[in-house]
Amino acid sequence: MREALRQNRNVVIVGLIGLGIFALLPLFGLSGFAYRTLTSMFLLIVTAQGWNLIGGYTGYAAFGNVAFFGLGAYATGILMYRHGWSFLPTILVGGLVAAGYAALIGLPVLRLRGHYFAIATLGVAEATREIVAWWTPVTDGAAGISLPFLKPITLAQNFFYYLALGMVIFGAFLTWFIIRRKLGYSWIAIRADEDAAKMLGINTTVSKVIAYALTAFLVGIAGSVYAYYNSFIAPEEVFKIDRTLQAILAVVLGGAGTIAGPIAGGVLFQLVSTFLIFSKPFGIDLGQFHVTIMGIFIVLVIIFTPRGVIDLVTRSAREARRVHADQAGGRRSTWTFLKDGARATRLILAQNRQQFKI
Amino acid sequence: MSGILIGQSAINVLLLSGVLTIAALGFSIVWGVMNIINLVHGAAIMLGAYVTFIAFTFAGIDPFLTIPISMVLLFGLGYLIQRNIINYVMRAPMLTTFLLTFGLEIIIINLAQFFFKSDLRAITTGYSGSSLTLYADPAANSSIEVPYIKLGALIVALLLTLLTHLLMSRTRLGRAIRSTGMDKDAAQLTGARISTIYALTFAISAGLAGAAGSLIAMTQSFQPGFGGTYTLYAFVIVVLGGLGSVPAVFLGALAFSLITVLTGLWQPGLTQAAAFALLVIMLVVRPSGIAGKAFYQ
Amino acid sequence: MSHNEIILTTERAGKTFGGLAAVSKVDLTLRRGDVIGLIGPNGAGKTTFVNIITGMLPISAGKVTYRGQDITGWPAYRVARLGIARTFQVVKPFRNMTVRENVAVGAMYGAGGARRSTREALRRADEVLEFVGLLDQRERHAEQLTLAWLKRLELAKALAMEPEVLFLDEVMAGLNPKEIEAAMDLVRQINQRGITLLIIEHVMKAIIGVCQNVFVLHYGQKLAEGRPEEVLRDPKVIEAYLGKKYAEQLEARDAEN
Repeated sequence: MREALRQNRNVVIVGLIGLGIFALLPLFGLSGFAYRTLTSMFLLIVTAQGWNLIGGYTGYAAFGNVAFFGLGAYATGILMYRHGWSFLPTILVGGLVAAGYAALIGLPVLRLRGHYFAIATLGVAEATREIVAWWTPVTDGAAGISLPFLKPITLAQNFFYYLALGMVIFGAFLTWFIIRRKLGYSWIAIRADEDAAKMLGINTTVSKVIAYALTAFLVGIAGSVYAYYNSFIAPEEVFKIDRTLQAILAVVLGGAGTIAGPIAGGVLFQLVSTFLIFSKPFGIDLGQFHVTIMGIFIVLVIIFTPRGVIDLVTRSAREARRVHADQAGGRRSTWTFLKDGARATRLILAQNRQQFKI
Repeated sequence: MSGILIGQSAINVLLLSGVLTIAALGFSIVWGVMNIINLVHGAAIMLGAYVTFIAFTFAGIDPFLTIPISMVLLFGLGYLIQRNIINYVMRAPMLTTFLLTFGLEIIIINLAQFFFKSDLRAITTGYSGSSLTLYADPAANSSIEVPYIKLGALIVALLLTLLTHLLMSRTRLGRAIRSTGMDKDAAQLTGARISTIYALTFAISAGLAGAAGSLIAMTQSFQPGFGGTYTLYAFVIVVLGGLGSVPAVFLGALAFSLITVLTGLWQPGLTQAAAFALLVIMLVVRPSGIAGKAFYQ
Repeated sequence: MSHNEIILTTERAGKTFGGLAAVSKVDLTLRRGDVIGLIGPNGAGKTTFVNIITGMLPISAGKVTYRGQDITGWPAYRVARLGIARTFQVVKPFRNMTVRENVAVGAMYGAGGARRSTREALRRADEVLEFVGLLDQRERHAEQLTLAWLKRLELAKALAMEPEVLFLDEVMAGLNPKEIEAAMDLVRQINQRGITLLIIEHVMKAIIGVCQNVFVLHYGQKLAEGRPEEVLRDPKVIEAYLGKKYAEQLEARDAEN
């Protein structure tokens, strides 16, 4: 228990330092490219935090979350473009529309488990995209909707940056708030064993639908903000399945079913993908292979760190500390500690690789 | 609706279902035997299409003769992928295999975009335009037509379906695959090497996907991204028909084609939405599919 | 025989799976404070019977009444909140939680759950863990426990729900004789707290040791019912379930006395 607390404390400290850095960063001047990268990263983290509720905590592998992103985006798009609403209230509407939709489809779909649930949600997302593209009188169909620009540009950059950062904090707070309550316990119980959860008096249907609706709310508000931020939305763009998968990858990369997981995973994901596209290592332009690299990244993460990097780092550190404590006297230094840590990491990675082999 | 329209629609349903059966067959076998939703499947179909395209365009081989080439090449690729990658996650939770196969799919598609470019490709043979007229009504100036190339594709598809059915039900390999799928621990006791069986199962599935790709290349234009749609179709077909037998896949493909053609007549923009709506209803109401429970007989 | 109020009854309760009757026309009456043993060969429908009472499986026929209220076909969670708890034959711990959290979930959502906060539920979990002797394991993750402890954890989760009726599904299977003694003790203590018990068990020693009455199921139907010493000598029961060997042992023991 004490060990777990200490690790939690470390993660919280790292998180607060990170938050401070991101909050102060614009004061030191950011390029337009940096603004765009970081704002997109925050929005990705919010969609990841959303997926984490249904997929990470409740254990239902939802693959159609992009439907909520698209609905949020279209709620904002339609309200601003057709009805002249101001932006901020449309975020709430976008989140609520997505949550309502999730509750509606959740009632039948959440009765399914495993593969069936995954593909049913994927199917719902595809169908939603097609309906939005088809419903031209309301959505302008495949042509999409253009939204007004927020001006001047520096205001827009800072506005969206801090708005998206604020949403990340909101997502983390919401997760933290729920998982220490009865609802949170019911999700974790459902993930472990749904029949046992029912038998203890948990109305699993209600718990799952709430989880799904909250997931949709977070993903939906991210979509809303994206619509105004990007100032153009079209079905092919906002309902792209890649958005769901990036969110899932961010969660798995960081650690599913933890508060810090989606954040750490989202940051790492964005760092790696941005770096790979723009660094041109050895003079090779990797831009055209960026999806390939993303795929390789997914494959490596799945095989080597199925429990996420936070788990990998904390386990390595614990192991290194143990080895370190065993070594008597002289040899102790930061350098040997890091070396022990690296050895432990290698060992864990090798174990992970063999873990699910037949 | 006129009689001719009904007749032509019925023919279209039949023609479509042949190709879709082959596209979904391998997917169904891997799912049933290995309990993996194989998202690489669509990428394998896409590669099959490009094998046919390249063999036809650069070597002048008749597209029908390229089918065995596609099948052999993809059989080999499937074997390698299972042995070297998928094998590491055979006992992992469902989300893991799902994401892993997705990662592989986007790698293959992205590389294909690099090598084959994103241009829309099509194959035009000497007999591409001609068709068999089943019935003609000169007064209305309309007729029921069966394009020869689609007819050929249907025949090949039915033949391959039959062969797969025989492979699974009559051969030693088929029996080993089926018993592995039903209970891998028990199958291990009988001396079957599980990892080899899995690799072969995956290879057969990829080979069938290659054939499906070749057939699709003959009947429609395509580009590297088209395979993903077929993965989703395959899923819907397997759910509609029921997991676990070759005839069930055919039934599922027939039902799926019927929905697609009918929705296409009414609202061409909503064919996928209709298919997925049906999928969800089917899953909730009758999860075992039209044909009910079976296991690859 | 107890003459307390009737707490739970089934009337002609049945369950069919695709035309096959797993349980049919079973009448059972539980009175407050009873300890009833439910025995029968494997596949006799014992667990299915518990499943249809508790709402784990939809009931096909008949009626279930709890304290005068018809609860036939109620969903599992509502049955659980009424005060009917059970354990699972194949243990179902929440592997991703600590022992304490596992039990706390029962305290949060069971019969007394509505009025409890999570904090109170965790406190309540400690009380229950102390009662079943798992308190020193409370911070461990469930996946690290041995089978004997997991069986106790099952029991603790059910008890934390503050049930009036508790079904125990083979909580002693797989335990060694010493652990069985301890488990029997625990069952008696639970009963002394006023909880009515229905015990599915193959360990005859335990059945004889703690049950006032035994109920025998065979092919989904009631074969016999009565005091353990009578039922276990019933030729029908011996033939269907206990087997010849047991009968010979019994005779040999009688001859010795």
